[in-house]
Amino acid sequence: MRTIIIGLDGVPYGVIKNLTDTGVMKNLSHVIEDGVFRQMASSIPEISSIAWSSIITGKNPGEHGIFGFMDLAPGTYRLFFPNFFNLKAAPFWNTDSSKKSIIINVPSTYPARELNGVLISGFVALNINKAVYPPALIPKLTEMEYQIDVDSNKAHKSMDLFLNDLDKTLKSRIKAYHYLWNSQEWDTFMLVFTGTDRLFHFLWDAYENTTHKYHETVLDHFRQIDEAIGEIVDSIDDNDTLLFLSDHGFEELNVEVNINFYLKKNGFLALKNGKEENFVNIDSSTKAFALDPSRIYVNLEGKYPAGSVKPEDKERVIEDLVSLFELLEIDGRKVVKKIFRCEEIYYGPYLDYAPDLVLLSNKGLNLRANIKAKQLFDEGIFTGKHSQEDAFLVVKGRYNDDIVPEMPTVADIVAIKNKLN
Amino acid sequence: MEKLKLHNSDLTCWNCPAIDLAGKVDFRACGQSTKELAKISEDSDTYIMAECHRRPELGLFDPMGITFEECPEWQRTAYGYMLKDMRVMILGIDGYLGWTLALWLGKLGCNVSGVDNFSRRDWLKERGAHTVVPISRMTERLSAAKEVLDIDINFRQLDLMNDRERLKEFMDEIKPDAIVHYGECPSAPYSMIDAEHAIGVQKNNVLGTLGVLFSMRDIVPETSLIKLGTMGEYGTPLTGRPLFEGMFPADAVLTWDNREWSLGGELTPRDPVSFYHVSKVQDTYNIVEACKYWWLRSYDVMQGVIFGVYTEQVSADPRLRTRLDIDEWFGTVINRFVAQAVIGLPLTLYGAGEQIRGFIALEDAMQCMTRLIASPPEPGQYAVVNQMSGYYSLRELAETVAKIGKSEFNLPVKIQRLENPRVESERHPFEPIYENLPKRYGFKPQVSLEEEIYRMLKLLTQPKIKTRIEEKRHHIVPKTWWSGEKRQVETIEILPSGSQVETEEEKDEAYGR
Repeated sequence: MRTIIIGLDGVPYGVIKNLTDTGVMKNLSHVIEDGVFRQMASSIPEISSIAWSSIITGKNPGEHGIFGFMDLAPGTYRLFFPNFFNLKAAPFWNTDSSKKSIIINVPSTYPARELNGVLISGFVALNINKAVYPPALIPKLTEMEYQIDVDSNKAHKSMDLFLNDLDKTLKSRIKAYHYLWNSQEWDTFMLVFTGTDRLFHFLWDAYENTTHKYHETVLDHFRQIDEAIGEIVDSIDDNDTLLFLSDHGFEELNVEVNINFYLKKNGFLALKNGKEENFVNIDSSTKAFALDPSRIYVNLEGKYPAGSVKPEDKERVIEDLVSLFELLEIDGRKVVKKIFRCEEIYYGPYLDYAPDLVLLSNKGLNLRANIKAKQLFDEGIFTGKHSQEDAFLVVKGRYNDDIVPEMPTVADIVAIKNKLN
Repeated sequence: MEKLKLHNSDLTCWNCPAIDLAGKVDFRACGQSTKELAKISEDSDTYIMAECHRRPELGLFDPMGITFEECPEWQRTAYGYMLKDMRVMILGIDGYLGWTLALWLGKLGCNVSGVDNFSRRDWLKERGAHTVVPISRMTERLSAAKEVLDIDINFRQLDLMNDRERLKEFMDEIKPDAIVHYGECPSAPYSMIDAEHAIGVQKNNVLGTLGVLFSMRDIVPETSLIKLGTMGEYGTPLTGRPLFEGMFPADAVLTWDNREWSLGGELTPRDPVSFYHVSKVQDTYNIVEACKYWWLRSYDVMQGVIFGVYTEQVSADPRLRTRLDIDEWFGTVINRFVAQAVIGLPLTLYGAGEQIRGFIALEDAMQCMTRLIASPPEPGQYAVVNQMSGYYSLRELAETVAKIGKSEFNLPVKIQRLENPRVESERHPFEPIYENLPKRYGFKPQVSLEEEIYRMLKLLTQPKIKTRIEEKRHHIVPKTWWSGEKRQVETIEILPSGSQVETEEEKDEAYGR
């Protein structure tokens, strides 16, 4: 009995519903007809690195230690980008080393670490030589022109260049999966398609608007994935467990809201005069600052080099911040839908590194913590943004709520997988 | 107490050769790009990610976040923070400057490597000249460096022009943090002898350097290149235009036809004065382009006329001495004057003798180079420094040598004016700008002109060296004419001693300063 997990990065429940209903993803629709199809909650905030770390460990960020794509090195304002080595909880393929796993393109698994099987890292994975275990596989992947991710820079030059590269990346990924599926013995096979997320960032409008120049191109991308899904479904037997899932949803993006600018404007954040606008130059008059996308940290004395908020004043600052963000409006509409306090959403041994507050925005509004932003609102170049509440989960076969909860979250996947086995 | 800031305290990993630029990431689109790595995006949400090969535990990080002052791999020295065991490769390590720098850096704790094909020794041999300070063979130099100074130098004999593959292998083996490029023919008169020599110099310098640039692109693109240029690239424009450091300053403006353009950041015009100087100008352009196309990083060091014999290391043992040439091709002017003074030949001024040049003593040049090595440019940055500690007319210099020779060594020194075999302005304004090294890199000249001349006279009056000068006295007065003529220049006049030294005010007026 084997387990197969197919990830579609950033694909919301609604898109799967629509594409399976309209016949774009026929193979997946067959699985849904005879399976469980659920809306799933993403991590808070709804960021791939956090969500995928929860998916593969079954833990919440307080336990696995990944709170965002970037973080501050302990005791400093220095940005670093947490990677697979910073993941504090074991991914499921390391908990039972008797099982052989093939893991392809799971985000935040770079640099590749040893396992019983094969791992090809996903985003952020900048150097193929550090992204593959065992390294002996690298020449084969190079021969297949395997590409870890689309070069997103191309989208800023020409959408056609970007789409060509996206298609090339998808085809090379399918080639690699074919090779590993057939050439290796395995118990668990996990494959994540990440082009879907990239596509939606730049072309969510093309997905939504059927007359858009690139609408069909977007659908074609999903058709290709569905074709691969068809092959997979055809080559497994009834004892095998098959899951499809995404890490977060997606929605239209209208305006980007620069929350560090808002903190600066309201006297909560100040940078040292005449220095580069970088976190390392946070001034001691700062009460709080934000890290992407919507994590707020109190500038606590003893925790940061220029920390100035005394522990006994922390709660008052948090209350002030809550009031401040509750007031934030655009065109008479509230920007922030919900404000989570650390203790409401996180638990585990790594709470010291957790943000004190996390903001969840209303529809269409993307919260950003760019410290160099010059204005509160920006109209970005992107047309789509992540959404928190509407990732999806499909399980082949019919199961009751004890096994597949009615409202699952990304941290439930390992438990679901274990129960199915 | 807060530590005193050094010139490179606030540089960050962005400048450090120990990092690999891994790629660019835009988290808004979960997008990564491994192309155009080094280009800082105007889009401030795009992060450049770096990895440190000295501190892999840092993982991927923002290279702007750690300063040299904060990083344990950079350690305080008298010349700024220096990377621990910094790997410096010297091209032309057997030369006057190359050997001196190798010992200097080795003593500072750098990991020194170098290449040479001994062409400088060959050129001298070809002209029938020799270094008046005797130097050892390379094998003996290396073992003396180990024995006397406990310095290990990794040397490879190779030719930059013809052994490019071996150069690449060596670069790959060493993975230098910095490459100092002294591997060129440094002589204007040598390049003016005939077509053969002009072509040889230009080939060696221009094509050799071009090959170095390609090799660096392929093997060590993060390494900084510190390349020796010359103040002579600028020439001496008769308009009196200041000789800026490579590029026009930000507020320079070109006005023409009632219109204005900013010249800020553009290369200033070059006015080379020999085919050798032309090769240096061509190098400048090749390096600028390499930085532009491949994000290499480089300092182009426009060095004033070098002179002197002293550093603590080369003086530590006769086997460690660096060369000193005094012939018409490779002898720089002060070195030549001192040799002439020692053997009683009148010091030779060409033409009016009012030519003004920038100068720097050997030891001060070493200090400058060290400071530059310690402050690698940013990826893609081409920067220029005018490396000199002062400027003088040649007549002034001759008078100074004569004065010290007479007063300290009892030498009867005369000064003579010769026909000028070169095509150059003999009276000209001269306003060099040389602020970068002192202001940005903390350079403070340590050696006065008089002190170094004294040290030289002391060394060159040693009987053995004096004899070596005597042996080649016929090669001091020039025979190489820019016109192509082949004859010894003739004396115009012997100057009455001491009469020509101008007052400071007269000098200011004459120099336009």
